Formats: sequence, C-alpha cells, structure tokens
Amino acid sequence: MPSSTPPHTQPPSPPQEHSYDTNGVDLTLVRWMISLTPTERLQVLQSNIDAMTKLKHGRRKS
Amino acid sequence: MLRSWRSNDVEFVVVGGVGAVMHGAPVSTFDLDIVHARSDKNVCRLLLALTRLDAIYRGQGSRILRPDARALLSPGHQLLSTNAGPLDILGQVGAGRTFNDLLPNTVEIEVDGATDIRVVDLKTLIEIKREVGRPKDLAQLPTLEAALAELGDPHDPP
Repeated sequence: MPSSTPPHTQPPSPPQEHSYDTNGVDLTLVRWMISLTPTERLQVLQSNIDAMTKLKHGRRKS
Repeated sequence: MLRSWRSNDVEFVVVGGVGAVMHGAPVSTFDLDIVHARSDKNVCRLLLALTRLDAIYRGQGSRILRPDARALLSPGHQLLSTNAGPLDILGQVGAGRTFNDLLPNTVEIEVDGATDIRVVDLKTLIEIKREVGRPKDLAQLPTLEAALAELGDPHDPP
C-alpha cells in the first residue's frame, strides 16, 4: 500500500534496534561473522592479523 | 598448518581464539591454540609435523630450543614459533581438560573445501575460558556468549 507521505518527507528509518547487547557487544558484527563460511572467517582473521602487523611495524612520521 | 597436520594424521582439537573465530565469533588472536592427544604415537606424529614447521620455543632470546617427546607427553603448555606463525600446544586446558575430555564436545569443521578440522564447540570454549579465569579470557566472554546466542544449538555445524 503506497504511503500517504511523499518519500522525501518520510522520517528516516529508526536506528537499528538491538545492534548492541547489554554488554556492548556489536551484534551486527557477530551476525556478519556467522554469515561467513568457516574458511571465510579464517581469512578475515588472517587479514586482520596482516593489517595489525603492518601497523605495528609502521613508522611515525612526526 | 592445520591442513598439513590433518594429512599427517595428528590428533588435535583447536581451542582458543581461532576456535572461536571458526564458530563465527568476531574476536582477534595472534596464535593458534591446540590440545593434542598425548599418546606415544600421536606425539611422534606431532613431532614430525613440528619439525616441518621448524617449531622452536618462543621467548628464549638467542637460544634455539625445540620441543621434544617428553615435553609433548606432559600436560604443560608449549609456546612455540613456527614458520606458519605462533603456535601453543596445550597438554590440557581449563580445569585440567585433556584431549580425551574435550573430544565429546567437539565438532568437525570443513575448511578450504577439503580439510576437516576438529574444534571444541563454542559452549565448551566458553566454559574453558571461565575455568581459566584470566582477565583477558573473561573479557572475551560477552562476545563469545553473544555468538553462541546467535547460533542457537552449540552442536549445530556452523
């Protein structure tokens, strides 16, 4: 059913509820990781490790 | 590393951060933690795999010390550097859980379309972290528990 309010005046979608649990865990991140295959999850981990290693060995410019 | 161990028939269970990631928990870790079967045969197979990985003990300064059968038959933790990255071989974890203790609470997860890796299930991983109780283990619990809640049955293959 078409909305009676023109699209450009419609209020923005409410912020995503339940993005964080009561401990502050980002549930969107949890759900994203779970959506990957185990192989993809390990690739994400390896990619993170590689990036952190590069940052660790980075040189301060100033 | 895991693939070569499987082809060498090494009996082990992945625990720790890599295990959590394999279940879908968004955590970071720099090392691979495994608990191995401490039988003579398996230790022999493991030693062969470690030789191929050029495994030496971490934190020994300029000394090159390699693990031996006596160390791997013990319940202690062997903290190693290998040509595939840091590797911790744990004779037991948590409240003294050995490979045989963990086995009923593991799942086999396919990696790279060809290799099945045995990983402790997420519920047991959480229990182990509680048993160890170090601040860094307790700090990960909220994320692991959130992943467990999203997954539902911890024995469902991910």
